[in-house]
Amino acid sequence: MPDFLKSSLSFLRTYFALLVVFAVFVWSAWVIATFRAQQTPPGTVVIRLGHWQLEASVREGIDEMAREYRKTHPNVVVVQDAIPEGTYGQWVSTQLMGGTAPDIMQAGGMLPANIWLSYFNRYFLPLSRYANAPNPYNAGTELADVPFRKTHKDGMKTAYVTEMQEYMTVPLSLFGVRIFYNKDLLKKLTGRDEAPRDYREFLAVCEQIRSATNAASGQPYIPIAGSAYHFGHWDGMMFSPLTYGAIRRADFNRDGFVGNDETFVAFKTGLLDFHYPPFKLWLQMLREVTDYFQVGYTGLGRDEAVFLFAQQRAVFMTTGTWDARSLQEQAKDQFEVGIMDFPIPSRDDPVYGEVVEGRIYESPGGGFQFGVSRTSKNPDVAIDFLLFLASQKGNEKINRIIGWIPAIVGTELDPFLKAFEPHLEGIYGNVNFTLGGNTAVAWGQQYSLYQVNQISFEDFAKTYTPFYLKEGLKDFLEQQRDWRRGMQRNEQYLAGIRGRAILADQAAAAAQTPEEKSAAELDAESAWIRYRAITASRQVWDELNHARQMDLVNRDKLPEGFVGPYEYSPRVLEKVRQRIRAGQKAEAAP
Amino acid sequence: MLLAGFLALGLSACGPKAEKTGEAPALIGEGWTKYRLSEFHDAQLAFEAARAGSQKGSDDWAMATYGLATTWDLRRPGEDPRKATGLYREILDAAPDSPMTPWTELALVRQQHLVPVGQEPDYKAVNAAYKRIMDKFPGHLAAKEAFLYLESIQLAKLEPKTSRQSEKRLLDFISGGKPEFLSPAWSLLTVAYVTLGEQEKRLEAELKSLELTEVDPSDPFIEFGGRYWNIATIAEFEVGDFALARKYYQLLIDKYPTDIHVHGCKQALKRMDALEAKLRAEEEAK
Repeated sequence: MPDFLKSSLSFLRTYFALLVVFAVFVWSAWVIATFRAQQTPPGTVVIRLGHWQLEASVREGIDEMAREYRKTHPNVVVVQDAIPEGTYGQWVSTQLMGGTAPDIMQAGGMLPANIWLSYFNRYFLPLSRYANAPNPYNAGTELADVPFRKTHKDGMKTAYVTEMQEYMTVPLSLFGVRIFYNKDLLKKLTGRDEAPRDYREFLAVCEQIRSATNAASGQPYIPIAGSAYHFGHWDGMMFSPLTYGAIRRADFNRDGFVGNDETFVAFKTGLLDFHYPPFKLWLQMLREVTDYFQVGYTGLGRDEAVFLFAQQRAVFMTTGTWDARSLQEQAKDQFEVGIMDFPIPSRDDPVYGEVVEGRIYESPGGGFQFGVSRTSKNPDVAIDFLLFLASQKGNEKINRIIGWIPAIVGTELDPFLKAFEPHLEGIYGNVNFTLGGNTAVAWGQQYSLYQVNQISFEDFAKTYTPFYLKEGLKDFLEQQRDWRRGMQRNEQYLAGIRGRAILADQAAAAAQTPEEKSAAELDAESAWIRYRAITASRQVWDELNHARQMDLVNRDKLPEGFVGPYEYSPRVLEKVRQRIRAGQKAEAAP
Repeated sequence: MLLAGFLALGLSACGPKAEKTGEAPALIGEGWTKYRLSEFHDAQLAFEAARAGSQKGSDDWAMATYGLATTWDLRRPGEDPRKATGLYREILDAAPDSPMTPWTELALVRQQHLVPVGQEPDYKAVNAAYKRIMDKFPGHLAAKEAFLYLESIQLAKLEPKTSRQSEKRLLDFISGGKPEFLSPAWSLLTVAYVTLGEQEKRLEAELKSLELTEVDPSDPFIEFGGRYWNIATIAEFEVGDFALARKYYQLLIDKYPTDIHVHGCKQALKRMDALEAKLRAEEEAK
């Protein structure tokens, strides 16, 4: 064998693995390059859009909107990068840091909030300018002259980053959680065409379902497909709102919520315990409903419950708008999916009537948010495309395709999603029994045992209460040790705003023309007001809030003449009485 | 050979960044931009270059040094408070008449006040230092800020005696007239009145604080829902002024119809109606 062949073979043997890797790399690079070239003919403006929504309808919706946009912008091509949830965080990080980020990126999830804050700071364009101007794509509608942020159902609250005092994203959809049910199975097992709306009716239907046997498996039907993931929906939407009434006993600062410090003091001073009806009935309802979940649900994940539902072994399952279309697709040609609101007890319910005050309050916060990266070669086009998606017509259309709730006012909701219309007025839970690490661990243990029916309500209350009262203060103090850290974070942030304001002052002083001067002065004024507003709202209060909180948690007894936060003191009652008396006298006077 | 070449190339990329050059004002602007973006290393380089490129003691030098000191003081991680203190002091020594002097003095007191986790500030020294700034730079925003911090420390004692003293100082401050920090001064007064049990004055202070809230003209995203709720509940339960309570509950319902407190507001309106009806019936029966 010639020497060159020998040496080639030897080289091949030595570096075979490396060569294979290299060849695969070259092949994949070539495939990607040719694929991209097909998608983006020469001369086009390419807008890359990255997101983590792998649901087919989302990609379909964005593609359709891109086609629609192309009708008026023929040189713009939108290419999607749909990345799985599990890797989106890493992907976003590497893309942003490497300077190769898509023009438009879904933001606000899959990474901790503080990481998003730093990414918004470094890698995204602020959108406040657009938020405060009308959306040109709303021309000809009633929103034509309305500032963009006010065209959103939630006023674009979720797009606003307080730390930066800027709007950073454009939200496109709203989300909610409801109960999905198998209409055909419900009819077959209970004879009902409609889902039960009342709590008692719902329990009766669940009982009826459980008593029926599935001919295919020989097992009883499962009324509710549950899992650790789904339990959160039920608790948040249906059980814990029963605790709303705790504000009347323990909302000492009358802010409308019961904090963990307030609950603790209320327990210490005997104002509250687990036998207080809102707490007792919350735990009772939890047990009643979860008894209709499949056995061992706390150890199961989301997918196991979805399988049960899709295989028609369970009738009810909670999930959100994000799954609505997928579930509908999975059930296609097999069964009809219905959506119902959570069944709450009526006001005359013999057990729950005294604590039921209404449906849960649902904040209309926009999700499916997109920001524009600073490295975008065509930021104006990227922002324009987002405005197109967030226009009244565009937003209605994309959400109709995806099967989600539009974020823009005056849009029509898919009839299938009517049950998802948020309750903009209502009550909320006031459950807050942990004060730090030790109480959180103990709570987790006892609550889990109660959930799976291993301990009774009495045992739960008897076990957790003494631990809570004994360890609570220690736990709270431990958690409060680093309370000044928040002040230090604020100080860092404020220094940046102050620096900007001082520079704005200098720019105003150096301005050459009256117009420049006037604009620079306005800018400087705005910067200083911003600085003062943030100083006043954040930095001045920490010392006081900490002192008040410590004063509260150290209380062992109630002050003399204590009246509940939402009760009238004798002094106020007397004042109101006097006013009424004076009014009656005046009326009686000739 | 090839690997060695790549290694050399890689190592050269890891070397220290090239020194920044340019005009001091531009570099200072860049420094603050980098600081706000949490790019503290780049901020440091920009401020250092601006400092080196300006005459010691000049306004540019003072501003660059202040930026550099702030970066070392407040960057996380990698802070060096001692180095920051040295730089702050350098400004006071070399540029005592610079516009940055009041802010530098304030930064030095803030270092004393915002101590690391596990330590307690020497409040006596901190209070004295805030007072010094107020005396030295009357009318300057830094002095007003120092005043607010000083009063918040006093009021945090939650004692009637110190609250009464604080009330007097806050009222003096408010009578000074300029709108800067008037709203938080009224808010601090509400704390004093809670400690003193003077609920009518507390309500008045809350109303003043709301009225004088400064609104950033470029940022109209301000919500007063929580403050309306606060005023309404004080009026209802502490003062018994149902007319005012009704006004603010209704304002919240009208202006912020999707606010979480709306249910509570409607309950409150019903509650007051029911109480008045009950008392009226009782009075008529007498």
